[in-house]
Amino acid sequence: MKTLAVVITTPPYSPLTVTALTYVETALIAGINVIGVFFYQDGAMHANENISIASDEYQAIAHWQRLNQQYQLPLHICITAAEKRGIACDSVDNEEINGAFTVSGLGELVELTTKATRLVQF
Amino acid sequence: MSTLHLVRKSAFTTNDFAQCLSVLDQQDSVVLMDDGCYNLKHPLMDSLIKRSESTISINVISNHAKARAIETLAAIQHIEMNDVVELTFTHNKVITWQ
Amino acid sequence: MVSSDTQVENNLSQESGLAIINSKAPFSSDFGKDALDVALIFGSFEQKVSLFFQGDGVYQLIGHQDGTLVSIKDYLKTFSAFEFYDIEDIYVCQQSLVNRQLDESFHIDNVNVLASLEFGLAINRHQHVLRF
Repeated sequence: MKTLAVVITTPPYSPLTVTALTYVETALIAGINVIGVFFYQDGAMHANENISIASDEYQAIAHWQRLNQQYQLPLHICITAAEKRGIACDSVDNEEINGAFTVSGLGELVELTTKATRLVQF
Repeated sequence: MSTLHLVRKSAFTTNDFAQCLSVLDQQDSVVLMDDGCYNLKHPLMDSLIKRSESTISINVISNHAKARAIETLAAIQHIEMNDVVELTFTHNKVITWQ
Repeated sequence: MVSSDTQVENNLSQESGLAIINSKAPFSSDFGKDALDVALIFGSFEQKVSLFFQGDGVYQLIGHQDGTLVSIKDYLKTFSAFEFYDIEDIYVCQQSLVNRQLDESFHIDNVNVLASLEFGLAINRHQHVLRF
Protein backbone atom coordinates (compact mmCIF):
# COMPACT_ATOMS: atom_id res chain seq x y z
CA MET A 1 0.00 0.00 0.00
CA LYS A 2 1.39 3.39 -1.00
CA THR A 3 0.97 5.76 1.91
CA LEU A 4 2.04 9.36 1.89
CA ALA A 5 2.49 11.93 4.65
CA VAL A 6 3.09 15.57 3.78
CA VAL A 7 4.69 18.37 5.82
CA ILE A 8 3.75 21.95 4.92
CA THR A 9 5.98 24.76 6.18
CA THR A 10 4.79 27.62 3.96
CA PRO A 11 1.95 30.03 4.85
CA PRO A 12 -1.44 30.09 3.05
CA TYR A 13 -0.59 33.27 1.15
CA SER A 14 2.62 31.85 -0.34
CA PRO A 15 2.62 30.75 -3.99
CA LEU A 16 4.77 27.82 -2.82
CA THR A 17 1.69 26.46 -1.06
CA VAL A 18 -0.10 26.25 -4.43
CA THR A 19 2.51 23.72 -5.55
CA ALA A 20 2.04 21.71 -2.35
CA LEU A 21 -1.73 21.68 -2.75
CA THR A 22 -1.51 20.65 -6.39
CA TYR A 23 0.83 17.81 -5.42
CA VAL A 24 -1.43 16.55 -2.64
CA GLU A 25 -4.57 16.72 -4.75
CA THR A 26 -2.81 14.95 -7.65
CA ALA A 27 -1.76 12.19 -5.24
CA LEU A 28 -5.33 11.84 -3.93
CA ILE A 29 -6.74 11.66 -7.47
CA ALA A 30 -4.15 9.00 -8.28
CA GLY A 31 -5.56 6.92 -5.44
CA ILE A 32 -2.60 7.34 -3.10
CA ASN A 33 -3.50 6.98 0.55
CA VAL A 34 -2.48 10.36 1.97
CA ILE A 35 -2.55 9.58 5.68
CA GLY A 36 -2.15 13.17 6.79
CA VAL A 37 -0.81 16.65 6.23
CA PHE A 38 1.18 18.20 9.06
CA PHE A 39 1.40 22.00 9.12
CA TYR A 40 4.60 23.15 10.78
CA GLN A 41 6.49 26.47 11.01
CA ASP A 42 4.63 29.11 8.92
CA GLY A 43 2.37 26.35 7.64
CA ALA A 44 0.51 26.59 10.96
CA MET A 45 -0.99 29.90 9.80
CA HIS A 46 -3.41 27.91 7.66
CA ALA A 47 -5.60 27.29 10.70
CA ASN A 48 -6.12 30.98 11.40
CA GLU A 49 -9.79 31.77 10.80
CA ASN A 50 -9.00 35.48 10.60
CA ILE A 51 -6.89 35.20 7.49
CA SER A 52 -8.59 36.89 4.58
CA ILE A 53 -7.06 36.65 1.14
CA ALA A 54 -8.41 38.84 -1.68
CA SER A 55 -11.10 36.91 -3.55
CA ASP A 56 -9.28 37.06 -6.89
CA GLU A 57 -6.24 35.33 -5.39
CA TYR A 58 -5.57 31.66 -4.73
CA GLN A 59 -7.61 30.45 -1.76
CA ALA A 60 -5.24 27.92 -0.21
CA ILE A 61 -7.26 27.47 2.97
CA ALA A 62 -10.50 26.84 1.06
CA HIS A 63 -8.71 24.24 -1.07
CA TRP A 64 -7.37 22.39 1.99
CA GLN A 65 -10.90 22.44 3.42
CA ARG A 66 -12.23 20.99 0.18
CA LEU A 67 -9.65 18.17 0.21
CA ASN A 68 -10.45 17.53 3.86
CA GLN A 69 -14.16 17.14 3.07
CA GLN A 70 -13.86 15.36 -0.26
CA TYR A 71 -11.19 12.82 0.77
CA GLN A 72 -11.40 12.94 4.59
CA LEU A 73 -7.82 14.16 4.40
CA PRO A 74 -6.51 14.70 7.96
CA LEU A 75 -5.03 18.18 8.43
CA HIS A 76 -2.89 18.58 11.54
CA ILE A 77 -1.73 21.93 12.87
CA CYS A 78 1.31 22.00 15.14
CA ILE A 79 0.09 23.64 18.35
CA THR A 80 3.42 25.25 19.27
CA ALA A 81 3.85 26.71 15.80
CA ALA A 82 0.24 27.97 15.80
CA GLU A 83 0.35 29.57 19.24
CA LYS A 84 3.51 31.49 18.54
CA ARG A 85 1.77 32.86 15.44
CA GLY A 86 -1.15 34.23 17.43
CA ILE A 87 -3.60 31.36 17.00
CA ALA A 88 -4.99 30.52 20.41
CA CYS A 89 -5.43 26.77 20.64
CA ASP A 90 -6.70 26.43 24.21
CA SER A 91 -10.41 25.62 23.93
CA VAL A 92 -12.15 22.82 22.05
CA ASP A 93 -14.78 24.78 20.11
CA ASN A 94 -12.34 27.54 19.28
CA GLU A 95 -13.63 30.11 16.81
CA GLU A 96 -10.11 31.22 15.88
CA ILE A 97 -9.30 27.84 14.40
CA ASN A 98 -10.59 26.65 11.08
CA GLY A 99 -12.71 23.54 11.67
CA ALA A 100 -11.06 21.51 8.93
CA PHE A 101 -7.83 21.47 10.95
CA THR A 102 -6.99 19.39 14.01
CA VAL A 103 -4.74 20.88 16.65
CA SER A 104 -1.93 18.37 17.20
CA GLY A 105 1.50 18.18 18.72
CA LEU A 106 4.77 17.17 17.11
CA GLY A 107 3.97 13.63 18.31
CA GLU A 108 1.50 13.48 15.43
CA LEU A 109 4.39 14.10 13.02
CA VAL A 110 6.20 11.12 14.57
CA GLU A 111 3.07 9.02 14.07
CA LEU A 112 2.65 10.07 10.42
CA THR A 113 6.32 9.55 9.67
CA THR A 114 6.44 6.05 11.10
CA LYS A 115 3.24 5.02 9.25
CA ALA A 116 3.95 6.55 5.85
CA THR A 117 5.98 4.84 3.13
CA ARG A 118 6.90 8.32 1.86
CA LEU A 119 7.26 11.67 3.62
CA VAL A 120 7.31 14.78 1.44
CA GLN A 121 8.02 18.27 2.70
CA PHE A 122 6.83 21.48 1.07
CA MET B 1 18.55 3.38 -2.75
CA SER B 2 17.46 6.21 -4.98
CA THR B 3 16.35 9.65 -3.87
CA LEU B 4 13.98 12.10 -5.52
CA HIS B 5 15.24 15.66 -5.12
CA LEU B 6 12.66 18.45 -5.31
CA VAL B 7 14.51 21.71 -6.00
CA ARG B 8 12.41 24.80 -5.27
CA LYS B 9 14.98 27.61 -4.96
CA SER B 10 16.97 29.56 -7.48
CA ALA B 11 20.70 28.93 -7.22
CA PHE B 12 21.18 32.61 -8.02
CA THR B 13 19.75 33.36 -4.56
CA THR B 14 20.66 30.46 -2.30
CA ASN B 15 23.02 27.50 -2.02
CA ASP B 16 20.23 24.93 -1.82
CA PHE B 17 20.77 23.63 -5.35
CA ALA B 18 24.55 23.39 -4.83
CA GLN B 19 23.94 21.44 -1.62
CA CYS B 20 21.56 19.13 -3.45
CA LEU B 21 24.16 18.47 -6.14
CA SER B 22 26.81 17.68 -3.55
CA VAL B 23 24.84 14.69 -2.23
CA LEU B 24 23.34 13.58 -5.55
CA ASP B 25 23.77 9.88 -6.29
CA GLN B 26 23.84 8.00 -9.60
CA GLN B 27 20.32 6.56 -9.39
CA ASP B 28 18.71 9.77 -8.18
CA SER B 29 16.29 12.07 -9.98
CA VAL B 30 16.00 15.83 -9.81
CA VAL B 31 12.78 17.77 -10.27
CA LEU B 32 13.03 21.53 -10.72
CA MET B 33 9.89 23.27 -9.50
CA ASP B 34 8.85 26.78 -8.45
CA ASP B 35 11.92 29.09 -8.56
CA GLY B 36 14.08 25.98 -8.91
CA CYS B 37 13.22 26.28 -12.64
CA TYR B 38 15.61 29.22 -12.89
CA ASN B 39 18.45 26.77 -12.29
CA LEU B 40 18.10 25.68 -15.91
CA LYS B 41 20.20 28.74 -16.77
CA HIS B 42 22.62 28.46 -13.86
CA PRO B 43 26.24 27.36 -14.44
CA LEU B 44 25.65 24.52 -11.96
CA MET B 45 23.22 23.02 -14.44
CA ASP B 46 25.99 22.52 -17.01
CA SER B 47 27.97 20.45 -14.55
CA LEU B 48 24.88 18.44 -13.70
CA ILE B 49 24.09 17.73 -17.35
CA LYS B 50 27.66 16.59 -17.91
CA ARG B 51 27.33 14.26 -14.98
CA SER B 52 24.01 12.94 -16.12
CA GLU B 53 25.56 11.08 -19.03
CA SER B 54 25.40 8.73 -16.12
CA THR B 55 21.94 7.85 -14.95
CA ILE B 56 20.68 10.88 -13.09
CA SER B 57 17.37 12.02 -14.53
CA ILE B 58 16.73 15.76 -14.64
CA ASN B 59 13.16 16.98 -14.89
CA VAL B 60 11.29 20.24 -14.79
CA ILE B 61 7.60 20.79 -14.12
CA SER B 62 6.45 22.04 -17.48
CA ASN B 63 3.98 24.68 -16.27
CA HIS B 64 6.38 26.01 -13.66
CA ALA B 65 8.99 26.72 -16.35
CA LYS B 66 6.45 28.01 -18.87
CA ALA B 67 4.91 30.37 -16.32
CA ARG B 68 8.36 31.90 -15.81
CA ALA B 69 9.12 32.11 -19.54
CA ILE B 70 12.17 29.91 -19.12
CA GLU B 71 13.48 28.18 -22.19
CA THR B 72 14.26 24.63 -21.38
CA LEU B 73 17.08 22.41 -22.53
CA ALA B 74 17.05 19.26 -24.60
CA ALA B 75 18.63 17.25 -21.80
CA ILE B 76 15.75 18.05 -19.47
CA GLN B 77 12.51 16.10 -19.34
CA HIS B 78 9.25 17.98 -19.08
CA ILE B 79 6.91 16.49 -16.57
CA GLU B 80 3.58 17.23 -14.88
CA MET B 81 2.56 16.96 -11.25
CA ASN B 82 1.20 13.42 -11.67
CA ASP B 83 4.70 12.40 -12.76
CA VAL B 84 6.08 13.90 -9.55
CA VAL B 85 3.62 11.80 -7.55
CA GLU B 86 4.72 8.71 -9.48
CA LEU B 87 8.42 9.52 -8.99
CA THR B 88 7.73 9.83 -5.25
CA PHE B 89 7.03 6.11 -5.14
CA THR B 90 9.56 4.88 -7.70
CA HIS B 91 12.31 6.37 -5.53
CA ASN B 92 13.04 5.35 -1.96
CA LYS B 93 12.78 8.79 -0.43
CA VAL B 94 12.23 12.44 -1.19
CA ILE B 95 14.36 15.43 -0.17
CA THR B 96 12.96 18.92 -0.67
CA TRP B 97 15.54 21.66 -1.21
CA GLN B 98 13.75 24.89 -0.32
CA MET C 1 14.40 -11.53 -11.36
CA VAL C 2 12.39 -9.31 -9.10
CA SER C 3 10.02 -6.61 -10.21
CA SER C 4 11.14 -3.04 -9.69
CA ASP C 5 8.40 -2.59 -7.07
CA THR C 6 9.77 -5.46 -5.03
CA GLN C 7 13.25 -4.05 -5.44
CA VAL C 8 12.12 -0.74 -4.00
CA GLU C 9 10.44 -2.49 -1.06
CA ASN C 10 13.58 -4.53 -0.36
CA ASN C 11 15.77 -1.47 -0.39
CA LEU C 12 13.31 0.33 1.82
CA SER C 13 13.61 -2.27 4.53
CA GLN C 14 17.32 -1.49 4.86
CA GLU C 15 16.61 2.15 5.55
CA SER C 16 15.14 3.40 8.76
CA GLY C 17 14.36 6.46 10.76
CA LEU C 18 14.39 10.14 10.00
CA ALA C 19 17.28 12.27 8.75
CA ILE C 20 17.04 15.97 9.57
CA ILE C 21 19.23 18.24 7.47
CA ASN C 22 20.04 21.58 9.08
CA SER C 23 20.94 24.23 6.52
CA LYS C 24 20.47 27.54 8.33
CA ALA C 25 22.70 29.57 10.65
CA PRO C 26 21.39 29.58 14.23
CA PHE C 27 20.45 33.15 15.14
CA SER C 28 18.60 34.74 12.22
CA SER C 29 15.69 32.35 11.87
CA ASP C 30 13.82 29.80 13.96
CA PHE C 31 14.67 26.94 11.59
CA GLY C 32 17.39 25.54 13.85
CA LYS C 33 15.08 25.57 16.86
CA ASP C 34 12.19 24.07 14.88
CA ALA C 35 14.46 21.28 13.63
CA LEU C 36 15.70 20.67 17.18
CA ASP C 37 12.12 20.34 18.46
CA VAL C 38 11.39 17.72 15.80
CA ALA C 39 14.60 15.82 16.64
CA LEU C 40 13.85 15.79 20.38
CA ILE C 41 10.28 14.59 19.93
CA PHE C 42 11.44 11.72 17.69
CA GLY C 43 14.05 10.90 20.31
CA SER C 44 11.51 10.91 23.13
CA PHE C 45 9.22 8.60 21.11
CA GLU C 46 12.23 6.30 20.73
CA GLN C 47 12.28 6.71 16.98
CA LYS C 48 15.60 6.74 15.20
CA VAL C 49 16.60 10.27 14.21
CA SER C 50 19.92 11.50 12.85
CA LEU C 51 21.09 15.07 12.42
CA PHE C 52 22.94 16.41 9.40
CA PHE C 53 24.57 19.83 9.21
CA GLN C 54 25.30 21.30 5.80
CA GLY C 55 25.85 24.77 4.35
CA ASP C 56 25.25 27.51 6.93
CA GLY C 57 23.76 24.80 9.14
CA VAL C 58 27.32 23.98 10.29
CA TYR C 59 27.33 27.25 12.24
CA GLN C 60 24.91 25.60 14.68
CA LEU C 61 27.76 23.38 15.88
CA ILE C 62 30.53 25.91 16.33
CA GLY C 63 31.78 26.48 19.86
CA HIS C 64 31.79 29.66 21.99
CA GLN C 65 28.55 31.08 20.60
CA ASP C 66 26.26 33.10 22.85
CA GLY C 67 22.77 33.78 21.55
CA THR C 68 21.87 35.66 24.72
CA LEU C 69 24.03 38.58 23.50
CA VAL C 70 21.44 39.06 20.76
CA SER C 71 18.50 38.19 23.05
CA ILE C 72 18.02 34.71 21.65
CA LYS C 73 17.29 31.78 23.91
CA ASP C 74 20.37 29.67 23.46
CA TYR C 75 18.78 26.49 22.13
CA LEU C 76 22.21 25.29 20.99
CA LYS C 77 22.93 24.37 24.62
CA THR C 78 20.21 21.74 24.33
CA PHE C 79 22.39 19.90 21.80
CA SER C 80 24.37 18.52 24.75
CA ALA C 81 21.22 16.58 25.75
CA PHE C 82 21.19 14.54 22.54
CA GLU C 83 22.58 11.46 24.23
CA PHE C 84 19.70 11.42 26.72
CA TYR C 85 17.34 11.26 23.74
CA ASP C 86 19.42 8.54 22.09
CA ILE C 87 20.32 10.86 19.25
CA GLU C 88 23.75 9.52 18.46
CA ASP C 89 24.21 10.00 14.74
CA ILE C 90 25.37 13.53 14.03
CA TYR C 91 27.01 14.31 10.73
CA VAL C 92 28.69 17.43 9.38
CA CYS C 93 29.52 18.19 5.78
CA GLN C 94 33.29 18.65 5.59
CA GLN C 95 33.16 20.80 2.47
CA SER C 96 30.77 23.22 4.21
CA LEU C 97 33.32 23.61 7.04
CA VAL C 98 36.19 24.15 4.61
CA ASN C 99 34.23 26.73 2.60
CA ARG C 100 33.64 28.70 5.81
CA GLN C 101 37.22 28.39 7.11
CA LEU C 102 35.99 26.48 10.14
CA ASP C 103 37.97 23.79 11.86
CA GLU C 104 36.50 20.61 13.19
CA SER C 105 35.88 21.73 16.75
CA PHE C 106 32.30 21.68 17.97
CA HIS C 107 30.38 22.45 21.14
CA ILE C 108 29.20 18.82 21.37
CA ASP C 109 31.10 15.54 21.20
CA ASN C 110 30.77 12.60 18.84
CA VAL C 111 30.23 14.59 15.68
CA ASN C 112 31.13 12.80 12.45
CA VAL C 113 32.73 14.95 9.77
CA LEU C 114 32.09 13.45 6.34
CA ALA C 115 33.13 14.25 2.79
CA SER C 116 30.23 15.04 0.44
CA LEU C 117 29.93 11.52 -0.95
CA GLU C 118 29.82 9.87 2.48
CA PHE C 119 27.53 12.62 3.78
CA GLY C 120 25.07 11.79 1.00
CA LEU C 121 25.37 8.06 1.64
CA ALA C 122 24.68 8.60 5.35
CA ILE C 123 21.47 10.51 4.48
CA ASN C 124 20.51 7.62 2.20
CA ARG C 125 20.51 5.19 5.10
CA HIS C 126 17.31 6.81 6.38
CA GLN C 127 13.75 6.20 5.29
CA HIS C 128 12.59 9.82 5.49
CA VAL C 129 14.27 13.22 5.25
CA LEU C 130 13.22 16.65 6.50
CA ARG C 131 15.30 19.73 5.83
CA PHE C 132 15.25 22.97 7.80
